[in-house]
Amino acid sequence: MRRGLISWSRDEVPPSVLDHRVARFQEKIQAAKLDAVLVYTSFARPSAVAWLTHFVPYWNEALLVIQPSGAPVLLAAFSKRVHDWIRSVSHLGEVRSAPDLGRAAVTFLEERLPKASSIGVLELDALPWSVAEPMVKSRYGPALVDATGLYASIRQPADEVEIRLAQRAATIAVQAFKKIPTRATRASELLSALERSARLDGAEEVLPRVAPDLRADATLCRLEGDALLGERYAVELSIAYKATWVRFTRCIATQAVPQSWRSAADRFVETVERLNEANRSLEPGKNAAWALETCLGSAPLSIVATGETPPPSALPGGSLACLSLHLALDDGPWLRGEPLILGSRGQPSRLLI
Amino acid sequence: MNPGNAHAERRVRLAAAMADEGIDILVVAGNPWRSDYLRFAADITPVEGDAFAFIDRDGPTRVIVEHPAEAARLRLEQEELDVRWSLSAIEETETAIRELGKRRIALAPRAAVPYRLAREPLLASIAPATALLDRLMLRKSPSEIAALRRAAVLADEGYAVFLKAARVGRPEYALVAEVEAFFRSRGCPENFQILGSGGREVRGMHPPTERRLAPGDLVTTELTPCVDGYYAQICRTLVLGEPSKTQERAFAVYSEALEAGIAAVRPGAKASDVARAQNEVFRRHGLGDYVTSEYTRVRGHGLGLYVDGRPAVLEDVDLNLEPDMTLVVHPNTYHPEVGYFVHGDSVRVTQDGCEVLTRTPRRLFSAPLG
Repeated sequence: MRRGLISWSRDEVPPSVLDHRVARFQEKIQAAKLDAVLVYTSFARPSAVAWLTHFVPYWNEALLVIQPSGAPVLLAAFSKRVHDWIRSVSHLGEVRSAPDLGRAAVTFLEERLPKASSIGVLELDALPWSVAEPMVKSRYGPALVDATGLYASIRQPADEVEIRLAQRAATIAVQAFKKIPTRATRASELLSALERSARLDGAEEVLPRVAPDLRADATLCRLEGDALLGERYAVELSIAYKATWVRFTRCIATQAVPQSWRSAADRFVETVERLNEANRSLEPGKNAAWALETCLGSAPLSIVATGETPPPSALPGGSLACLSLHLALDDGPWLRGEPLILGSRGQPSRLLI
Repeated sequence: MNPGNAHAERRVRLAAAMADEGIDILVVAGNPWRSDYLRFAADITPVEGDAFAFIDRDGPTRVIVEHPAEAARLRLEQEELDVRWSLSAIEETETAIRELGKRRIALAPRAAVPYRLAREPLLASIAPATALLDRLMLRKSPSEIAALRRAAVLADEGYAVFLKAARVGRPEYALVAEVEAFFRSRGCPENFQILGSGGREVRGMHPPTERRLAPGDLVTTELTPCVDGYYAQICRTLVLGEPSKTQERAFAVYSEALEAGIAAVRPGAKASDVARAQNEVFRRHGLGDYVTSEYTRVRGHGLGLYVDGRPAVLEDVDLNLEPDMTLVVHPNTYHPEVGYFVHGDSVRVTQDGCEVLTRTPRRLFSAPLG
């Protein structure tokens, strides 16, 4: 569940920016001759609704209804008492109480779009059955079509507002790394320091994973309980700030930083510089695994390319993305991850900060 | 992963239930929002993306996830798992189900099964398979109870940290930062926490805001740390400075209601009895309007692998309480003279009553102004 600061600063994210995003989506909805698009949101899949309205559910679920014109309507499974809070942190038209989301969607469609013949759903395949079932069984069932591509077509490149939020998230992450105690011997010590620093700096969410002893295993773990830290360990830190996520990975040596790591860091930067919208088939050298992630739908970060899979879709220059690289060096594994702005064709990508 | 044998216990109970229902393979879906069923069936907790576990009654479990890092993590956590990842995990799962041929397959839970998989012939299996898991998750085994006890201890300790952090001038989110840092220092990766601060204008709790605490504020919180997958909850209210007579008087009502609710928890009672016992106290004090959905959500709820489990403690929920069910009893609601107020303890239903897992005193706490 989201536990950190959730608030809306009109200076950081002006309503006009959200209006512009919605208007761009509505242009696509009109062009596709859809009567409306439904966008699901939950703790696990908050990003599309947040990008359009600034609403992030700290728990529970909601459906955003976007019609070809007019302000978005939120059908919220939260109790009515929370509606004032929802309005205080998001830019919406109507907020409706919807304990049963699917039924509420059907009721809404019957009221507003009784003759609808084509209702788009972002990521229709993934819509939870508890939400989908009442819609599928209603007269709108045959009208449901997937609108994933429609939304993805406007989602990147990132606008200036999103880049500034990502830079703030990245700064929070970098500051948190600096707070790791140099003499930490247990994972709980470093995780506690990361959490405290990031949340005091205003992080909305903190998602750390740790490889506690790189000489034993480089797998990044979600720790329940504790683990002893080896002389070399790695930390992946994903930070959300105002619904914008960045992901960093750092290797930490309790003794002197190995020369091999310095060379690897140079290789990482060179790899980033070779990356652009036309070149996502990275070749960061032998013994390397990598993943490039961005936000194109409701997940905060989704893989768009890896060393093992061909790029499934185009990503325009100016996209906000995160590159994670894992190298098998002669003296052990090395991991690095950074957010970046994808270069346009022929232009290098650049690290976010 | 669970110490002891909670996973093994769950697996044995699940296999027996699958045999009773004639299910060979149970496909369990999950994600970071609804990870409870996956945790129960396969002892995995997704951090990102969808995950699907194929629980073979007599064989090893297969898992399909969306991210290579998730796949690597799960393989490390349980080397016996057969884990694959795919950018199209739902499609991959659909194919894998098709390849199972004529074996008797069921799909669950309704809250996480994706639309694409909810097709015939498996469509009809979703409701009964979800009900099967719900039944199994309601009554806890000894290992599950042990995890809940540890979570309740952590909740008590977390509240002590919250109490110390609540000082005039601090923003709400700083209190959560201190509590989260504490939980991490104890190896606790998950916690559900909301709070509220202020006076009569406060109608509920929410994630932390930038509001800075002020003298005389009521500061409410609901802390729900997780140990080995199991959540326990504590709800308490504190005053910044000395409580006023009105605040003391209000607290007395919530304290009486919590005691009445806990006294109603016993085998054979219904969830509705526990809700009614609490609500009657408010009605007796002329506060009956404030136990309606206009002002409050539930008078408690189940605890386990999900933070807000079954049963919802409401006057229209007739689920029978049985030994080793676990729940939080909390008469949280708005009070017209002081604002939103919370007070609640985690409990376990015993053979003849209930055991209160929460140890924090039932007091209206006060934090110093200086």
